[in-house]
Amino acid sequence: MAQDWKSFEPLLIPDIPNLEKIDVYEENGGYDALKKILNDRDTWSRKSVIEEVKQANIRGRGGAGFNAGLKWSFMPDPDGGPRYLACNGDESEPGTFKDRKIFEFNPHLFIEGSLIASYAMTVDTIYVYIRGEYLSWVDMLQEAVDEAYERGYLGENILGTDVSIDMELTYGAGAYICGEETAMLESLEGKRGYPRTKPPFPAQNGLWGRPTTINNIETLANVPLVINNGADWYGDIGAEEHPGPVLYGISGHVNQPGVYEYPTGIPVLDLINDVAGGIRGGKDLKAIIPGGSSTPPLRADQLDGVTMNSDSLKDVGSMMGTAGLVVMDEDTDMVDVLWRIAHFYHHESCGQCTPCRDGTGWLEKVLKKIKDGEGEMKDLDLLLDVGNQMEGRTICALADAAVWPVRHTINRFRDEFEERCKKSVHAVA
Amino acid sequence: MAELSFTQEELDEIERLKAKFPTAKAATLRVLWVAQQKYGHVEPEVQNLVAKTLDVPKSHVHGVASFYTQYYKEEKGKFVLDVCTCLSCQLCGGYEILHHLEEELGIEAGETTDDGMFTIQEVECLGACGYAPMLQVTNGVYVNNLTKEKVDTLLENLKNGNMPEFESMAMPELEKRNQAASK
Amino acid sequence: MPEVFIDGTRYEYDEEKDEMLLQFILDQGLEVPFFCYHPSMSIPANCRQCMVKVGTPVKDQETGEYELDEDGERKIRWFPKFQTSCSTRLQDGMVVLTQESSKEVARAQKDNLEFILVNHPLDCPICDQAGECPLQIQTYKYGPEGSRFEVKKVHKPKHVDLGPRVTLDAERCINCTRCVRFTEEISETHQLTIVQRGDDNYPTTAPGEEFDDPYSLNTVDICPVGALTSTDFRFKARVWEMNQTPSIDITNGKGCNIDLWTRDNEVLRITPRQNEEVNDYWMPDEGREAYEQFNENRVDRPSIKLDGDNQSNTSWNNAIETFAEVLEANDPSDITIIGSPHASVEENYAFNKFFNLLGVRNAKFTPHVIPGAGDGFLITDDQAPNTNGCRVINLDEADDTSIQSNVAAAKVVIILSDDLVGREVLSTSDLDNPYTISLATNHSKTTKASDLVIPITCVAEHAASYVNIDGRIQRSYPAKETKYTNRRLNLEMSEGRLDRFGTNFDNWVSEENKVDCLPVWDFLNKLGDRLGLDFKYDHSREVFAELSSSIDELQGISYERMDEENGVQLPIEQKEVKA
Ligand SMILES: Cc1cc2nc3c(=O)[nH]c(=O)nc-3n(C[C@H](O)[C@H](O)[C@H](O)COP(=O)(O)O)c2cc1C
Ligand code: SF4
Ligand code: SF4
Ligand code: FES
Ligand code: FES
Repeated sequence: MAQDWKSFEPLLIPDIPNLEKIDVYEENGGYDALKKILNDRDTWSRKSVIEEVKQANIRGRGGAGFNAGLKWSFMPDPDGGPRYLACNGDESEPGTFKDRKIFEFNPHLFIEGSLIASYAMTVDTIYVYIRGEYLSWVDMLQEAVDEAYERGYLGENILGTDVSIDMELTYGAGAYICGEETAMLESLEGKRGYPRTKPPFPAQNGLWGRPTTINNIETLANVPLVINNGADWYGDIGAEEHPGPVLYGISGHVNQPGVYEYPTGIPVLDLINDVAGGIRGGKDLKAIIPGGSSTPPLRADQLDGVTMNSDSLKDVGSMMGTAGLVVMDEDTDMVDVLWRIAHFYHHESCGQCTPCRDGTGWLEKVLKKIKDGEGEMKDLDLLLDVGNQMEGRTICALADAAVWPVRHTINRFRDEFEERCKKSVHAVA
Repeated sequence: MAELSFTQEELDEIERLKAKFPTAKAATLRVLWVAQQKYGHVEPEVQNLVAKTLDVPKSHVHGVASFYTQYYKEEKGKFVLDVCTCLSCQLCGGYEILHHLEEELGIEAGETTDDGMFTIQEVECLGACGYAPMLQVTNGVYVNNLTKEKVDTLLENLKNGNMPEFESMAMPELEKRNQAASK
Repeated sequence: MPEVFIDGTRYEYDEEKDEMLLQFILDQGLEVPFFCYHPSMSIPANCRQCMVKVGTPVKDQETGEYELDEDGERKIRWFPKFQTSCSTRLQDGMVVLTQESSKEVARAQKDNLEFILVNHPLDCPICDQAGECPLQIQTYKYGPEGSRFEVKKVHKPKHVDLGPRVTLDAERCINCTRCVRFTEEISETHQLTIVQRGDDNYPTTAPGEEFDDPYSLNTVDICPVGALTSTDFRFKARVWEMNQTPSIDITNGKGCNIDLWTRDNEVLRITPRQNEEVNDYWMPDEGREAYEQFNENRVDRPSIKLDGDNQSNTSWNNAIETFAEVLEANDPSDITIIGSPHASVEENYAFNKFFNLLGVRNAKFTPHVIPGAGDGFLITDDQAPNTNGCRVINLDEADDTSIQSNVAAAKVVIILSDDLVGREVLSTSDLDNPYTISLATNHSKTTKASDLVIPITCVAEHAASYVNIDGRIQRSYPAKETKYTNRRLNLEMSEGRLDRFGTNFDNWVSEENKVDCLPVWDFLNKLGDRLGLDFKYDHSREVFAELSSSIDELQGISYERMDEENGVQLPIEQKEVKA
């Protein structure tokens, strides 16, 4: 199937002018999925909605790729108290800029998806947490939410049923870590964005101690597609183990960077050369980062036959992440790039737990030393060691995300690093 | 500094924000934004006003204000230019843009021009990687696909009080098709 | 009973207690290094030091039986990552490997310490915490030999006065958040927060705010490094020079369990001693400041008013003679004796009994209460440590006016350890007429107005018991020598390094800090000798033994029981302590 991506018609952001307006959205079948469910609750019990979504295997688009329906099924039975859906629009992983497209071009699809999710999990309040820098997009989504309230898709007695769901938008103020789901909950509660230790998991003990599910914006936008067309139809799109349409954010040294919607499983090289117009200035490809800064980089020579889905990327030692593909040409200085990534994680560590707080700084400082021409050979192994000491020992995955690029960039571009150290002021012999 | 306070209008807005959440504390981030909107910063007195208004501990507001980078813990220039130098922007010349700005304005990142007009800050990824290099003006509008010339024009415009407009970055594929259709 | 296996040894645990693994390990007398965990506060699991390897046995889905391997051992499914034992709930059959049996775990703990130390200034030689520093101790036991960190450390604020009593060195802070959690969860003043982000993090107050929490010094105790130090105690002494003696806080009615830290018979600081039933791990700052009254302004040698208002020191012989003559010259019915909620059970009892033997009426006492002073936690309205003790031994509880009229009617007034003038029960002029004798630890307005002042031992110098506001009887130990006691001979006194090895010829030991005073019972022994009275107690223990055999509420209670049980709850009616 990977071959027929060229004939793919966008589903998440179809080519319909003014689709962000509720009239246009409705004219094009918008809110049909919600109506379908609410008008036929015998067929579409809460459980069967979850089952359908689980079958479809929408893998979380926030980075971890977890089956959305399965996640929903972790919510405990309702006890009459509040239950929440927290929608993650923090979008701060370097290389990632796709959720904003949904806010801008098809916000109602996301609203509809989160309504279906809320119905399925008996959620009464949806919080949408958007990064503070995205104020322009908060406004766009707010307009759509207001429209949805006016049309009776949100609020009391939705479409005349006994289902009532509210949606509140809010935003952060500059902190990548608030994209980590439990840090986001803390931030929603008005606090410093410190990730929580798990267990307890948010489904048991989330916002204000109540059952809460966290999903990425794009993940939720996939939900109406599944309800409208069925899990089987959805499962046929793209890669088998990781199906569906994806918003690929392509950046770096390509001629036409931007966000493109294609199925999963599209060959990486097609994405670069055909979709994004090839490398700028006719240069050669050196490396890519497939899914945001935390996913391990791959050398150009590793990319033959590799496709954008979790299995294929895993085979070559990387991950799908957020599908934010960063492309680097032959002139790219990998030492500089890696230092900059390490700088990012150092800057963004919440500082709560030891290995990350003190490890991210250590990584950055040693890389800076190498970059500035003061590195020693032993620093390379030190970096790997420090990484090993951090990975898997922290409260949240930011530390892992900081370690992976360091480990794999050094391993996959070791020559370049050694070269730099050899030329350094400390070089011996 | 005189005793700070919110106007009735602002207090109404704060009530509306509080109503979004089950606790007043949850509104901390939002009310800090309201305060920053009003005063241009959230220096200690402003933080204390927020604490008083929400009836939450001052230490809490202080801890929150200092955690999030978009709050100005001290007064900044009239225009704060947040230049992204993170991964994709670095690849596409973010540092050149930063250094160009530094030269043009005669200050370094983190500093404010003597006339109080501009502050330059180096920031992490702003979620506009496909439009790199880019910057954000005072927590507001994004200016994309920067070149030195574009930066110069931006500075000129800002000096004249003209804020750049929001620029919608279309999905390139759709744009291509639309262009084809309109031909 | 459910079971866990720690380093190959089987332990049973009580499911009801819902305990975390680390606490359970500590309860067994085993050890895993940790910093952020505190048994009385929430568990953030942020220091990551307490990592262990954890697995659970695999059960057959259908039969529910444990699956066995080829060797007939239970199959264990190991968690893919190390778990922080502080936040890991015990589970039946759980298998745990600590640093004792797993090289991997030992290495992980070492790695973590290396991280903690990269931004730590390593200034132990000038740090007050050295010697009692969990970071120093754990690094010594579990840390790396050296550091591979050769780049720049982060700089943060140093010697910041967070408030009147606590000093912060943010560079030493390891961000365990114990101090912040303390103000959120225990004292509930919310005065501290962590500020900044990442490795710039440190705890502080809101700008312009003081950390004047009435419990602020507890953060110094629980800070696992020298980031928070006591401003008062800063640089006064090294921990290993001091001698630690258990005692009871006498500044209010709660009777917080404390330790007195002495060097050369000077009390240098007071810290709380854990007692779940009374004060847990905490005490109010006020109680810590009391150390000064054990050293300073003490009544040292008896003194006597000869002419006018001038008191002058006199010999013990002369004091006893004068006291005896006053007693002989007056009819017992003209003598009023006033016991004290500020003095111990034994002192009050011996005092009252002595004068009863002479035919004097039962002692009165008046509670020392400031309504509204308490906070419902560890600070009480009651300003005295032993109000209930006076009640238990049946002294006559009197209000201020009745004390005043009694004093007015008396020719002789004998006051035990209570600054009745200072706390405005009496005025100086009330004491003009009667011949007033004070048995006192410290100079006060009352001793100043007295004709004869007998110096007696304070709580830091004797073993004696006190009944707190909740009816719990607890006791003190002598921590400080008097002119007449000797640490090496008195088996009850503990010896610090300097006490043991110092001599009169070095700088560490002097006579200066030994007060010339006697325990009440000892003084009364001597006075009894002179009067030919059958009154003799060699030790407060004897006084107490007599009490416990004569007073119902104290039956079966002894110093041994108080020691073993950390104090004993008396079966007494919860009586309101009235003003
Ligand atoms: C450090 C860190 C940052 C993250 N940032 C984001 C983010 O910006 N947006 C997002 O959707 N998920 C982010 N995630 C993933 C979330 O924790 C979470 O897995 C996701 O929102 C769940 O939604 P999904 O299952 O629909 O993908 C981040 C995770 C980590 C560890
Ligand atoms: S891993 Fe890093 S970001 Fe995550 S909780 Fe620990 S310090 Fe914070
Ligand atoms: S000051 Fe001490 S108690 Fe407070 S966070 Fe730092 S190390 Fe922990
Ligand atoms: S890297 Fe600059 S916007 Fe993402
Ligand atoms: S004691 Fe367990 S993580 Fe700190």
